[in-house]
Amino acid sequence: MFRAPLTKVIQGRFGSPTHGITSKAIRSSAALSQTPAKAPEKIEVFVDDVSVKVLPGTTVLQACAVAGVEIPRFCYHERLSVAGNCRMCLVEVEKSPKPVAACAMPVMKGWRIKTNSEMTRKAREGVMEFLLMNHPLDCPICDQGGECDLQDQAMAFGSDRSRFTDINHTGKRAVEDKNFGPLVKGIMTRCIHCTRCVRFACEVAGVEDLGTTGRGNDMQIGTYVEKLFLSELSGNVIDLCPVGALTSKPYSFVARPWEIRKVSSIDVLDAVGSNIVVSTRTNEVLRIVPRENEDINEEWLADKSRFACDGLKRQRLVAPMVRMPNGELQAVEWEGALISVAKAIKDAKGAVAAIAGQLVDVESLVALKDLLNRNGGETLCTEQNFNVKGSGSDLRSNYVCNTTIADLEQADAVLLIGTNPRYEAPLINTRLRKSYINNEMDIASIGPKIDLSYNHQNLGEDAGLISQVCNGGHPFSKVLENAKKPAIVLGANVLERPDAAGIHTTVASYCKKLNKQGWNAFNVLQNNAGQTGALDVGYQPGTQAALKAQPKVLILLGADGGKVDREKLPKDCYVIYIGHHGDNGASIADAVLPGAAYTEKQAIYVNTEGRAQQTLAAVSPPGMAREDWKILRALSEILGTPLPYDNLDDLRNRIEDIAPHLVRFGKLESSTFGNLTEQLATSKSIENTKIDVKQKKLREYFMTDPISRASPTMARCVREVSGEEAKEESQRQAAC
Amino acid sequence: MAGALVRINFLQRPAIILYSIGASLPAVAQRRLQGTSAPPPGTPPPQTKTKFGPLADQDRIFTNLYGRHDWRLKGALKRGDWHRTKEIILKGSDWIINELKTSGLRGRGGAGFPSGMKWSFMNKPSDGRPKYLVVNADEGEPGTCKDREIMRHDPHKLVEGCLVAGKAMGARAAYIYIRGEFYNEASNMQLAIAEAYQAGLIGKNACGSGYDFDVFMHRGAGAYICGEETALIESLEGKQGKPRLKPPFPADVGVFGCPTTVNNVETIAVAPTIMRRGGAWFASFGRTRNSGTKLFNISGHVNKPCTIEEEMSIPLKELIERHAGGIRGGWDNLLGVIPGGSSTPVIPKKVCDDVLMDFDGLIAAQTSLGTAALIVMDRSTDIIKAIERLTAFYRHESCGQCTPCREGIMWMHKIMKRFVAGNGQPDEIDMLWEISKQIEGHTICALADGAAWPVQGLIRHFRPEIEERMKKYAVRATN
Amino acid sequence: MAGREAVRKAVQQVRPILSVDREEARKRALNLYKAWYRQIPYIVMDYDIPKSVEECRAKLREEFERHRNVTDVRVVDMLVIKGQMELKETVEIWKQKGHIMRYWKESQDPKPTDFLSKFLQGVN
Repeated sequence: MFRAPLTKVIQGRFGSPTHGITSKAIRSSAALSQTPAKAPEKIEVFVDDVSVKVLPGTTVLQACAVAGVEIPRFCYHERLSVAGNCRMCLVEVEKSPKPVAACAMPVMKGWRIKTNSEMTRKAREGVMEFLLMNHPLDCPICDQGGECDLQDQAMAFGSDRSRFTDINHTGKRAVEDKNFGPLVKGIMTRCIHCTRCVRFACEVAGVEDLGTTGRGNDMQIGTYVEKLFLSELSGNVIDLCPVGALTSKPYSFVARPWEIRKVSSIDVLDAVGSNIVVSTRTNEVLRIVPRENEDINEEWLADKSRFACDGLKRQRLVAPMVRMPNGELQAVEWEGALISVAKAIKDAKGAVAAIAGQLVDVESLVALKDLLNRNGGETLCTEQNFNVKGSGSDLRSNYVCNTTIADLEQADAVLLIGTNPRYEAPLINTRLRKSYINNEMDIASIGPKIDLSYNHQNLGEDAGLISQVCNGGHPFSKVLENAKKPAIVLGANVLERPDAAGIHTTVASYCKKLNKQGWNAFNVLQNNAGQTGALDVGYQPGTQAALKAQPKVLILLGADGGKVDREKLPKDCYVIYIGHHGDNGASIADAVLPGAAYTEKQAIYVNTEGRAQQTLAAVSPPGMAREDWKILRALSEILGTPLPYDNLDDLRNRIEDIAPHLVRFGKLESSTFGNLTEQLATSKSIENTKIDVKQKKLREYFMTDPISRASPTMARCVREVSGEEAKEESQRQAAC
Repeated sequence: MAGALVRINFLQRPAIILYSIGASLPAVAQRRLQGTSAPPPGTPPPQTKTKFGPLADQDRIFTNLYGRHDWRLKGALKRGDWHRTKEIILKGSDWIINELKTSGLRGRGGAGFPSGMKWSFMNKPSDGRPKYLVVNADEGEPGTCKDREIMRHDPHKLVEGCLVAGKAMGARAAYIYIRGEFYNEASNMQLAIAEAYQAGLIGKNACGSGYDFDVFMHRGAGAYICGEETALIESLEGKQGKPRLKPPFPADVGVFGCPTTVNNVETIAVAPTIMRRGGAWFASFGRTRNSGTKLFNISGHVNKPCTIEEEMSIPLKELIERHAGGIRGGWDNLLGVIPGGSSTPVIPKKVCDDVLMDFDGLIAAQTSLGTAALIVMDRSTDIIKAIERLTAFYRHESCGQCTPCREGIMWMHKIMKRFVAGNGQPDEIDMLWEISKQIEGHTICALADGAAWPVQGLIRHFRPEIEERMKKYAVRATN
Repeated sequence: MAGREAVRKAVQQVRPILSVDREEARKRALNLYKAWYRQIPYIVMDYDIPKSVEECRAKLREEFERHRNVTDVRVVDMLVIKGQMELKETVEIWKQKGHIMRYWKESQDPKPTDFLSKFLQGVN
């Protein structure tokens, strides 16, 4: 298990004042943010004769960045430990006989760094020449072409001609390609051995699958033995790889970076709300890559979010459909579909209910609510359940991650209850892992034994443990109570249990005890991107209310979770499905109105910490599909109760009237009234049953929503990962 | 490679000389410096001799170099090892370091860093971490076999040295990282350690001095790079033997994250004798700043290849003629000598005639003392092929971390292979020179330098030979 | 005050395009009308359009009536100039049949303006 021994030394636990400076050099920049309370005096250095003041321990490369000079690099990455092996960042420092590696060398007072001197340029040119020497000349067929660090830097810093005369004698090195799995394509001849991928796997992803074998010119990056790179974050090595050695398998030979149009958007396949860039060409989503956001996803992206985008092209609903008397769904024109739907709603005379699903945006939620209210319906639910007793979903602090994602990495004691953050929210798990590495965080879980990619204590599966811990009677209670920044993370699935109210109140009131000034320990980890938004605009959690109402018309707004079926509904109930994929919801519907997926609409999503963000339309909806809120708006007009907004701005104004925080994109509103929870509490009883999590193994991670279920890439992942996991399992048993 | 290639790059030379201000002035030094303004304490006395070598038998430190006597504890005690070690230890760390500084001992692994100063780096106030001494017994440098002799025939010198050095730097324990191929040496070493434990010389209350000190031995797996001090530390920790970035230096963050000093076997093994006979005695050999005695390995085209302890600054010619029985076919048959193990540049006969075998003398001749392992080549040698073989060695032993080393040495080797046949253009010699310059000094550790220097030495002194061969090849190709 | 007066004068006394007063503009418009009127039989014949001379004259009148409430002399002049250009193009057979027929029907449907029509047609 990776827990850098050096980082401990650096945290000031050991280092004497003079050592602090030198030893800081090896820490990653992530650790740099944790500067000690007393800010040390800044020292002055000169970058190309420009004076810069930096903190002691800053590396030459960072000091140059402060001065606005970018040093070329291959192996250095801000979020990984420093390897210092590519030697591209060599710069001259006055009075030093040889160039220094800028990425690793801490600056000393009064240093004069020359980033454009003869020696520096010579050194770069030399390294470049060596790198290109064994790098294949296959740029024309390389997927990295156009966004390749090696190309760019060869252009900027390399020589204008090759001296590699041995190409005529012995040629270049060639390395056998490796199979890293269904997502990452490894063409190892192109590898320049920067070891970024190795460091990412060890440090961030927490799987020590990748490593180097061999030495000297025979050094290879690989998985030691023939096996897959099993991680939910494997796609990030594609971004990290400065050359085309690791590229995206589904995206291979699809497009060139200069042909694609890039749209900044938000991911909705988990509740983290990762910021993404959607690359499109000819109205087709080609790939999704992460966009930097320090508060949420840093610059990583989970595999499902990255690779499930081919699910947007399959199983799509492209035309409105109405169930004919013979029981077949038949495609019709919009007008006909809307009229028959409107007729059904009119006939229901107010006995209308609605259930919102996993991927719904705030706009359509609000439009649906307005529509139903105008037609006498009051029953609006979300598909996922939550505690409804007590203050339940009335108080925002009850259902969001109050600690916030970014702050979770400062936590020093964490209790996970019925959640597997590794697969429910991989990027939150990286934060916890970071805290585990840097803060010596104590982490425990209640629920089944799972692999979180770091060591943690499994307290057991019994729900009774929750009250035991929260009463202070469990050894881990001491850990939580003594911690400076404790946090408890409740999985959303735990709160679907019948005793959700008990668990919720018990934990919430215990967290109140743990809370510190400016630190809220209570977190609910949602796993549906639409859930927080739905609760924010006043939907009731859980389908019970809708089913109990015995509605004549049931509107499923993207509800594909399979929690509603025909048996639970009255015989004559008319089911309307609005959504983008032909999944569980559409199959039971009497009328299907095709909506837009998240890449096709400008829409608001609220992530698990309660941060509202908006997606932008990258492509237009396929066929006759329309944006969801527009469908509802059109339906309202045919019903004769037109909604008072014709365009997105008007709708956003309406949303602002209901919940102003939903249109302040990217900002996080702190939840108030948190202390009311206990006063409104009803029961604290917890049933003594086992707590379970849904996603225990990597193979269970890939398909959780209509988009990923429709994705061929995800299907391949499930197949190959299941095979690999079964293989490992059998090996383990054979070893026993 | 026994630290052969660690260069002094963090202190300028004047700083090295003026470093040891504040320690007490040794009596010997005071006596010698009457009337002049007192130099800082710990300064070796100035050398008055002008002729160096041969070494008198009573001045030899390694008295069982050839294994003619018992190497075990009994024999070692007879030869004076472990004699009054307790008193040395009780004199304290400052006295030991000061005596070592007076002796002017420079690291015997090749870089020649003043050992007294290196040890004094460890004497900073403790921050709670234990300190460690690591003995670099991973002697992999081609041509070098001095540490092997010590561990085979005089292992107690090393064990005692560990204790003395450990006391000087306040180390908790010593790790002896021994080369994997040294099976017999490792077993002798292990026996010596066991004997020392049983005799109460090390372990709890070592030698009855009240000082607790352990010695552990760790066998390597045969990678040359593991002789680099940080790679050795990594290997000792159980990781791949790949050099670490410096800073932080091992004295700050070394093995298992604790302050560590890595010393060569010879450096440690001579320390007890220096303590017993005094730093000034040791400093009386060799030129100023090159003081002491040294184990020389003479191999190659000499009549009697041998390992011999000799005074520093002995002329190369005398060393070979006296101890190795001269060059095969007489001195005039000499082609060149690699004076300090495979990583140092070759020097041709005309330089060999009057060069002195010490740090400064060889630096003046554009080469280096290294581990003082002379590889002698007579006129029958294909010098290009010889250097090509060395390059092949470095290509094979490069760890593969840094680009210039990984890619550059392979390229150099490819070119060298062609040069052996003469398949090349004269301007490629300049290219090879440039490539070697592009490799040198651009990597984390010094292996790449060690690979570049022999090639540079070849081009510097034997360029006409290479060109001659190319001409022949061209003629053959056209016919 | 003086400044504002000057501005108003400048605004009022704009440079005429062709006509100096309304009467002159009216005459120009009438002249254009007559010219078109006389040309219509030839247009019907030359372009071979499925319209009778009477229908064409009615359309001519309609087109002129469309601007009957224009009072600004400069606007009238501009419309007359455009009309003349159009006439020239028609007479010289620079136009094609479709161009003439466009007086009766636009080839493109007007874009929907209300939400529902936009929705049904799939335009934003």
